[in-house]
Amino acid sequence: MAFLTIQILNSLLYASVLFLIAAGLSLIFGVMRIINLAHGSLYAVGAYVTAWLVGRGIALGLPSGWLFLLLPFGALSVALIGIVIEPLLLRPFYRRAEEYQLLVTFGLIQILEDSIRLIWGGTPLSADALMDALPIIHVGGLLYPAYNLVVIGIGVVAALALWVAIYHTKFGVMLRATSQDRRMASALGLNVGLVYVMAFGIGCFMAGLGGAIVVPTQAAVLGMGIDALVIAFVVVVIGGLGSLKGALVGALVVSFVRTAGIQFFPELELAVLYLIAALVLLVRPTGLFGTA
Amino acid sequence: MEKTTPSVNRRAFLNTLGVTVGGTGLIGAGLVGGSQLLKAAQDPAKGRVPDTPFKTGHMTFLTGAGAVLGEPSIKGHTMAAEEINAQGGLLGKRKIETITADEAAGTDACVKEVRRMKLDAKIDMFTGVISSGTSPAVGPVAEELGLLTILTDGCTDFLFDKAIPNPKYVFRITNIQSSDGITAAIGVAQTWPHVRKIAHIHPDYAYGRNAYEHFTLALERLVPGTEIVSESWPKLFTTDFTAHITKIMSAQPDLLVASVWGGDYVAFYKQALRYGLFDKMKVASTIAFGVAPHAIGKDHPEGVLAGVHSNYYFTYPGGDRWPLNKSFVQRYFKRWNEYPNFQSEGAYMALYLLKSAIERANKLTGGWPEDEAIISQLEGIGIDAPSGYLYMRPDHQAYKDAVTGFSKNLPGYEFASWDPARIITIPIRNITAPLGWPKPGTTHNESTAAANWIKTTWPKVVG
Repeated sequence: MAFLTIQILNSLLYASVLFLIAAGLSLIFGVMRIINLAHGSLYAVGAYVTAWLVGRGIALGLPSGWLFLLLPFGALSVALIGIVIEPLLLRPFYRRAEEYQLLVTFGLIQILEDSIRLIWGGTPLSADALMDALPIIHVGGLLYPAYNLVVIGIGVVAALALWVAIYHTKFGVMLRATSQDRRMASALGLNVGLVYVMAFGIGCFMAGLGGAIVVPTQAAVLGMGIDALVIAFVVVVIGGLGSLKGALVGALVVSFVRTAGIQFFPELELAVLYLIAALVLLVRPTGLFGTA
Repeated sequence: MEKTTPSVNRRAFLNTLGVTVGGTGLIGAGLVGGSQLLKAAQDPAKGRVPDTPFKTGHMTFLTGAGAVLGEPSIKGHTMAAEEINAQGGLLGKRKIETITADEAAGTDACVKEVRRMKLDAKIDMFTGVISSGTSPAVGPVAEELGLLTILTDGCTDFLFDKAIPNPKYVFRITNIQSSDGITAAIGVAQTWPHVRKIAHIHPDYAYGRNAYEHFTLALERLVPGTEIVSESWPKLFTTDFTAHITKIMSAQPDLLVASVWGGDYVAFYKQALRYGLFDKMKVASTIAFGVAPHAIGKDHPEGVLAGVHSNYYFTYPGGDRWPLNKSFVQRYFKRWNEYPNFQSEGAYMALYLLKSAIERANKLTGGWPEDEAIISQLEGIGIDAPSGYLYMRPDHQAYKDAVTGFSKNLPGYEFASWDPARIITIPIRNITAPLGWPKPGTTHNESTAAANWIKTTWPKVVG
């Protein structure tokens, strides 16, 4: 039973991070109708910035508890990048055909991935001091790092906060109005440009937060953004692009199916996620919670 | 076939394989007599040699997850070129110029790039390649173009078994892939002959499959009676291993065999450590310490069989016993402020192998030798390398003693390295199919010549 408990926790851990990435991707698509291929790389930037900050913090002799305060900075730095690139790089392409948007964001992947390598090099960066600052819990003879529970907690809090922000605040109303009809929202006096920057910034913040909280459990490695992007696409294909609920359900489905695959059908680990995605596409081409 | 194989005692069989522990190996070393690498070309080149640059194209992972191995590769290549150029270049005249290509562009793009480098950029030689997916794709193209090539990795058996069974222009300096799994199996048989329940975790592509197959084949003969209790096949470049780790632990194996590499391995061991995996079982890896040495943290557990692709680790041969390695490591550290890995050494040696062959060919023919003359000198060449003695078989596959070791935290390094007292070396000829052994698709249909050779000739040991 202990194994089952741990596997459920493992799935929730993976789902938390996936949700943060996919929710940002979905939010950006929902508001701006743009598929940001560089979203995974922004997640990687969050991981690298956090690992680098933690490394600096340790070098400066910060006590390990204080290192936790660095996590938001990893996410904020990515939000900052988002606030800069949305108006400068992406906005001129909203009225163009999708191919242009894909090309621009694909180019952005290359720029971000190369920047990561130029700044931090090819060697993996770790931030495991954060993980070791918290105890290891015993679950029926097995070990489970308490830090992983923190990651799960942050995922839950982020989901709630995003839900409140979108459905229960004035900003959320503006966001949804812009999403439904940009020209009408603009005619009614909404500052659509500001809404766009905010939405893109929040989406990037989510990706950066995903990277920030995952890096102490693994390491920041080259290519992590590409891997994350592919899986995030599976999540939004299953859940429905543009839907917050879809991102949540998609992340949970992907995580639990992947864990079940690993546990019971190791040969199919690669295939099983894409099988599920294909099945969903056949039955509901817009995803479980997608519209349009 | 089993019925014909006699029963042999394990210890005796490991002895016949020439397995040595504790780094007393260096079998066959020094046959050439002293380190030749850095000797300036004392004899001036014969005949007229042009002073036009010698262009090499070096392909490796410049971006993406593979760059963790690509960076050391380019650094090794660059350092060798700088050293040779500082002595005036090849034959004292031709400076080496390098253009690079990114292997991360994908197989098709790599093939196009090799063509472009030869036809457009007019390279004289092609080097590099890391992935076992790339080498069988670019190898035949290099043959077709008549492009002198020394692959520094891309170690799949498939390249010379099937893709280019009779190479003319393509050489490969790294040990064959199958020797990775076999070396790990020998390390296990030597150290932990009592393991029975085995778990596996390998990246789901050619390298992981090959490691699994050859480890299992060899272990069946060296430690009969083991059973595989768990298998995991994570996607290459995965970083979340929590579900795999819990699955492995739920199977309660005695031994975990892993061929996860690069950043994947760093992420894997950090997670496995916190889940207590290393306390519950032995761990044997084919390539754990294959990354740049400083990528492994001080938190890496000790006593793990931490393979290096059976090629090279910078502390072996250690001390003053093999000055060539000592000075190579010192120069590399001075140049790059880090220690070399097997990619660095392979890429570095590829250029020295070329240099050596060119000098020999020049002695015979005078002037700048034709490719054919260089090739005939490369075939069968023996040369001292930082890793020990390197021999290029006439069939273009290089041979160097396989080496593996156990992780230990030594005070001198800021990362976990190898226990100097427990380094295992094996003469490569004893764990690879010999020259001329039937290739797959001829008299047998095993996946590799090595697999057929083991099945046909290795006994199952007793005791």
